[in-house]
Amino acid sequence: MCGIAGIYAYHYAANSVDHAELRRIRDHMTARGPDGFGEWHSQDERVGLAHRRLTIIDLSERGAQPMASVDGKLVVTFNGEIYNYRQLRMVLESKGYAFRTQTDTEVLLHLYAEKGEAMVNDLRGMFAFGLWDAEKKALLLARDPYGIKPLYYADDGWTLRFASQVKALLAGGKVCENPDPAGWVGFCLFGSVPEPFTTYREIRALPAGSTLWVDRIGIREAKQYFSIAEAYCRAEAARSSRNDEGLRRGIREALLDSVRHHLVADVPVGAFLSSGIDSGALVGLMRDAGQQDIQTVTLAFEEFRGRNEDEAPLAAEIAAQYGTRHTTRFVTEQEFSHDLPKILDAMDQPTIDGLNTWFVSKAAHELGLKVAISGLGGDELFGGYPSFRDVPLCVRGLAIPARIPALGDLARCSLRSVCQFLPSVNPKAAGLLKYGGTFAGAYLLRRGLFMPWELADVLGPEVARLGLRRLAPLRHIENLLTPRPRTGFGKVAVLESSLYMRNQLLRDTDWASMAHSLEVRVPLVDVELLSHVALVTTRSPSRAKRMLGSSPRLPLPSKVIERPKTGFGTPIQAWLQRDSRLQQWRRVPALAVNKCPWARRWAFDVAAA
Amino acid sequence: MDERSLRVLALVTDAFGGYGGIAQYNRDFLSALAVCEGVGEVIVLPCAGARPKSALPPGVQQLYPVKSKVGYSIAALGIAQRYRPIDIVFCGHLFMAPLAAIIAKLLGASLWVQVHGNDAWEELSGLYRKSAEMAALITSVSRYTRRRMLEWVRIEPARVKILPNTVEPRFQPGPKPDYLLDRHALHGKKVLLTVSRLAAAERYKGHDRVIRVLPRVLAEHPETMYLIAGDGDDRPRLKVLAEEVRVAQNVRFLGLVSDEELADHFRIADVFVMPSTGEGFGIVFLEAMASGIRVIGGNKDGSLDALGDGVFGTAINPENGDELASAICTALNSAPANTGGAIRFKASAFTEHLEALVWSNFIAGH
Repeated sequence: MCGIAGIYAYHYAANSVDHAELRRIRDHMTARGPDGFGEWHSQDERVGLAHRRLTIIDLSERGAQPMASVDGKLVVTFNGEIYNYRQLRMVLESKGYAFRTQTDTEVLLHLYAEKGEAMVNDLRGMFAFGLWDAEKKALLLARDPYGIKPLYYADDGWTLRFASQVKALLAGGKVCENPDPAGWVGFCLFGSVPEPFTTYREIRALPAGSTLWVDRIGIREAKQYFSIAEAYCRAEAARSSRNDEGLRRGIREALLDSVRHHLVADVPVGAFLSSGIDSGALVGLMRDAGQQDIQTVTLAFEEFRGRNEDEAPLAAEIAAQYGTRHTTRFVTEQEFSHDLPKILDAMDQPTIDGLNTWFVSKAAHELGLKVAISGLGGDELFGGYPSFRDVPLCVRGLAIPARIPALGDLARCSLRSVCQFLPSVNPKAAGLLKYGGTFAGAYLLRRGLFMPWELADVLGPEVARLGLRRLAPLRHIENLLTPRPRTGFGKVAVLESSLYMRNQLLRDTDWASMAHSLEVRVPLVDVELLSHVALVTTRSPSRAKRMLGSSPRLPLPSKVIERPKTGFGTPIQAWLQRDSRLQQWRRVPALAVNKCPWARRWAFDVAAA
Repeated sequence: MDERSLRVLALVTDAFGGYGGIAQYNRDFLSALAVCEGVGEVIVLPCAGARPKSALPPGVQQLYPVKSKVGYSIAALGIAQRYRPIDIVFCGHLFMAPLAAIIAKLLGASLWVQVHGNDAWEELSGLYRKSAEMAALITSVSRYTRRRMLEWVRIEPARVKILPNTVEPRFQPGPKPDYLLDRHALHGKKVLLTVSRLAAAERYKGHDRVIRVLPRVLAEHPETMYLIAGDGDDRPRLKVLAEEVRVAQNVRFLGLVSDEELADHFRIADVFVMPSTGEGFGIVFLEAMASGIRVIGGNKDGSLDALGDGVFGTAINPENGDELASAICTALNSAPANTGGAIRFKASAFTEHLEALVWSNFIAGH
């Protein structure tokens, strides 16, 4: 876990790399890597790589980055963890590669020497890296299959700059800050900015599961090497000879295997613990994997103490069952109010979430943790969201009426005018007929923050028009379903994993945890695990989450497994609404109406911040 | 023709026998393209310009210009048929993009669109946008033009590359030529120079900005003369302005300078200044730099590319009079510049880059 950056002045007309700029980019990410820093420049001054380090594996100076191969022909700056680096190292050593360090970084260098860019297929973990190949005079950028680690780049046609954060690139001072309407429209539609867009025109995210080459003529088109949709299609097509019991055992083994891999570290690995199945099961599996001493942390709110909404007691029960060192960290409105400016500053791209992760990461950092396990991804993998039921249902019901030309638009317009007088009617209702008949449309309705026809009110008509054209939201969603999974579960899982989880949950976890120099690991977001679980969930989705809960040798208490998904809340919504600094939304009539969802107002204030 | 070599149909405004910046660019481009490895033949159809005076470079065949719009389209379609197979349709100006896109589509050829300056800055109608979006490659003269175009064209940014202007070798440093010092009575004077058209439609060039700050420059350097080379319908306004700010004595309108005398005119100057807000690239900056004189330009447009982001010349906010006046005074106090900027944009670098673009876009993996 770290912060990476680089500049490649690839065009003959470009000025050489500005060392001071590279340092500004790098040092804007000090929180990502407070333990060390480094930079490397090519002799001809056309390439510079930089790194901020959070030491987790091989704590010695030898692990410092950017790291070069012995012959100096390869140099890498890397953020993340390669969980199977020991296995890869053994294979490489058997082929004659000599290692100088105990790091996963060095494995990247040798693996590239051995396999070229195809190396990414062998990596299990979360990663983003920039690797300079001096012989090819080319820079390889790569990002893990799910997009757990971020990687942004800005190409002005002369010079390529990359970094782990958008704000770091801006801090360099040479990237154009013109806004990207597609990023803003995406934010208003989804509540987070959908990759590859950002809110800045010149800055793009390297899509998850992709590589990108930059050589002397500039950037090539990004190449996707992994697709979640393809993984689901493969699982659907696979014939399994195993019976139910066999599959269940297979899942348990796969879960344990993932957790075991995610515990690789030279520092203690703790865990976020809520009262839900995902984090609880992971803590149980951490024990099964052999970790005796587990530090867990749960977030709680004074307002909820002793009330039904409080999840702290149940979390404490789970902690007691697995014998962890448990901490319940209380957050008050005063602390929230104090942290708010820091939160908005750390928020790399606008988002309507991430506040819980901010505080739980802060708590973990206070406990001295550098690494924590999170249950993120469980709902996407095991179908825990209501969307797994609602979206296919909606599509089935509306597929035929939605095909009648103009009916959807007609219904939307008439309902929209009704909604103006009846604010209690959900504004999304107006779009039901227009969008509900396809998976892409139904998903947009389910997850949408604002609806496309509302954007002009919040963003202004010109930004809305340009942004909708550039983003083309339905096509954007539809493209993720290529190849198209056959089952409804597969389709929703793909959309939840490639939109909500990738652009919202993983991004929020990254900035909110890195602001506290904490590495969050997500064993439920793992390609290897996915290939096992998808075999089951695409066939019998209904019992999937339960399987997760009963996977530890000592299963979770049944009240945890049986508890309905909703029930716990946080007072943060109320705090947000009360905060005097977050009242910009009052300027927009559409947001000032009673019963306007709080997330819409919060989104507007985030955008205005 | 070699089986592997590419045949290119180039639809351009003018090239060999043409006049002005775009024709110059097209000549450099087409000459270099024709000698690229893997390129067999370049067939050029211009819609303006005269017949070339000198022989065409090897590999280039330029057809007679067809000046009417409809005639041009018919001719282009006919030529496309006659010269089949065509591998690449090169579109030298965005206003030809729909025609080029149709021909490329009909022939199954790749479309390559070139953009220069304000032709690509503002959003054009859907027809032009969709045509540009079909391009396998768009080359832009500057980062600024690329950025502006990407604001309204929905295309992978990786497909939009930069191929800057280049500078002719006749622009070289040298002593101030006596015949021009005599003609313009410039002995013992410090000389500011701007070279451009004086079109009322192109007031962004910034002659008026220079005239307005001239009193401040004269206060520090009373011996300064401002030479304005080039002509056009904006000249009367600028003359009146010079009188209004009482610097008419120090401003000389040279009119159109012949091609033969242009390089010498750069040499009689101490500072080239053009605080423009509308340059696609600004080849004059390169010509001035190649002549070894100090250069001042704006930081709001393609000028920044020619100025190397301020490394080779001074890049100022063109709309800020204080910045402009102080940049001029500083430049007048400084020693002559080195020609590093112009060297960076030398023709050989252009050719090498073009070759790499052709190779990676149309040969490797195809």
